[in-house]
Amino acid sequence: MNLRDGGLSLVVVVGAGGVGKTTLAASLGLMSARYGRNTLVMAFDPSARLKDTLGVGEQARDCEVPVRAGTEGTLAASLLDAKLTFDRLVRRYAPDEAATSRILSNRFYGHLAGNLAGILEYMAVERLFEVAGEGRYDRVILDTPPTRQALDFLGAPSRIVGFLDSGALRLALRPWFDDEGRLKPTAHLGMLGRSVEGFLDRMVGIDLLREMAEFFQAFSPLFQGFRERAESVQALLKSPDTTFVLVTGPGEERVPETLFFARHLVEGGYHLGPLIINMVHPRTSAELLVRPDLGDGARLLSWLGERDHRGVAAFRRLILGGQTLVDVPLLAQEPTDLPSLEALGRIVAQKIEGSLESFAGPFRQ
Amino acid sequence: MALLERLASRQFVVVTGKGGVGKTVISAALGSLLADLGRRVLLLEVDPRENLHQAFDVPPSGGEVVRISTHLSLQNLQPRQVIEDLVRHHLLVELLARRVTASPIFQHFVEGAPGLKELAVLSEAERVIKAKGKGRSAHAAFDVVVLDAPATGHGVSLLAAPQLVSEVIERGPIGAQARELARMVADPERTAIVVVTLAEEMPVQETLELRDALEVQVARSPELLVVNSLYPPFPGGRVEGPPNDEFLLDLWRTRREVNERELAHLAAAWQGARVEIPMLPADRGPRLLAGIRQQMLEMGQAA
Repeated sequence: MNLRDGGLSLVVVVGAGGVGKTTLAASLGLMSARYGRNTLVMAFDPSARLKDTLGVGEQARDCEVPVRAGTEGTLAASLLDAKLTFDRLVRRYAPDEAATSRILSNRFYGHLAGNLAGILEYMAVERLFEVAGEGRYDRVILDTPPTRQALDFLGAPSRIVGFLDSGALRLALRPWFDDEGRLKPTAHLGMLGRSVEGFLDRMVGIDLLREMAEFFQAFSPLFQGFRERAESVQALLKSPDTTFVLVTGPGEERVPETLFFARHLVEGGYHLGPLIINMVHPRTSAELLVRPDLGDGARLLSWLGERDHRGVAAFRRLILGGQTLVDVPLLAQEPTDLPSLEALGRIVAQKIEGSLESFAGPFRQ
Repeated sequence: MALLERLASRQFVVVTGKGGVGKTVISAALGSLLADLGRRVLLLEVDPRENLHQAFDVPPSGGEVVRISTHLSLQNLQPRQVIEDLVRHHLLVELLARRVTASPIFQHFVEGAPGLKELAVLSEAERVIKAKGKGRSAHAAFDVVVLDAPATGHGVSLLAAPQLVSEVIERGPIGAQARELARMVADPERTAIVVVTLAEEMPVQETLELRDALEVQVARSPELLVVNSLYPPFPGGRVEGPPNDEFLLDLWRTRREVNERELAHLAAAWQGARVEIPMLPADRGPRLLAGIRQQMLEMGQAA
């Protein structure tokens, strides 16, 4: 499957937690639909307020729900659920019904599917493939899960495949147990074999080993599918129609980490769109500071304005050549309805107008 | 003071919360306040990009214990390193251990296996606690471990990991270790949980979710909620400013209103102790730490 065939472009919004990624993703989605593109916004864990704003609730978990925005292009939103996506993958790749239910009912799978490190990130991109196949959208805006470091998102597909495909698990694929649930390699050793079995049983419990072996055996027909899928995921993320929008807060202390990630993206062959410095406090006038009625608060606000101004200046100084930098002011309050979400989208869209060519094809048609 | 003394009587204080809420500086402030009460405190950070040392203006740890003052030290933990040390400890033969830890199988396993890194972090904290008074190891000299918990995902994943692992691995030394850690985390006599949040909608929502998840998965509730970075109270009455400042004044008024609304929400929904910390005009570093310590002392007396 090639996402380009459908003319579909992908915008991946990345950044550390707490910098306003999800709200920005939603506002970009709204603008994209306003410009006539059929757009899907995929989010992980939006606030109740944002769900209300978009008019989507739990029914959007793992499926797309139309947002009544009155835009020229259609707008839909979807909430990601790693476990449900994983279940569906198993159903797709498993050779038959029996294999499917063997995996899905395995206790080890239940534990793995919800807890594997990076599983959310992997399943997000997996979902993209499903959505792309449907051909209903021109553009997908993908909000990424909050990670301490934005880099975690990129490594997730290879980490997951590495884990599922690692030699340790290949070992587990060997038929260790006979029909009676006895360890095969030790069965012919008689008493000695019994004691080896007893040792393993004491170490982690033989039931666990049996279940793990069952799981990986049931899973083995799926490996090939997973590996190929992971390669397609990497190709999709590096496709010229995919753009990464990097979001950061304005603090000066964020500069090194953000630029490190920007450089990593570019060097890794990903397409880096605008760098958005979000939630910038405005600077105050000198008059505000000397007003007696405002007290200490005004001094703090003034300090915040100067701090963020310094931060933005540091970003400008150190930014990679050719990189577009967009500073977005802190809003008095988070958008609570579609018009205020669109107002935010307009601020951002206007500021990145200059870099629209690099923004995953023409943003405005 | 009662609040801090309560925390000082524990062996393990876990400071948790989402990224960007100021968890690290709150951990630093709590750790140094407990040290002031005469406890010997080790501050543990779990982050390849070290931040904790900036609050004290000491060099980064690089994995070693760094002494800040008589009663206060810090250390940055790398879960991978901890796991490799464990393997070395159990395999005894250095060459064999090196071969195991260098193998891609092992590397993949450590990266992907659910709960393993969390277990490693908690094991390390437990090791320090148990080492108290024993021998001359760098860890023998601490009464309290304050853990600045990693901010990935929900804070509950760290604290619930032992329980989770012990459900999968029911027997053997790993199962036993997981059960022991689960008991430690669940024991309010030994472990205190401190949650840091902002008075904004999303962080408050997640804080209440975390509390509920802790109740379900770890069967306990947090000791203390720290509400950080509050905007200053907006002056009463009508305030006008030059046009340039209108936007700012509106921002200030509205942000403070959101803070107050969410504080009221927490007052109704959160039964445990709470302290509120105003936003302070200082960059990351000793000055910010001093300001937060001062605030926590004042609030801690009231709470």
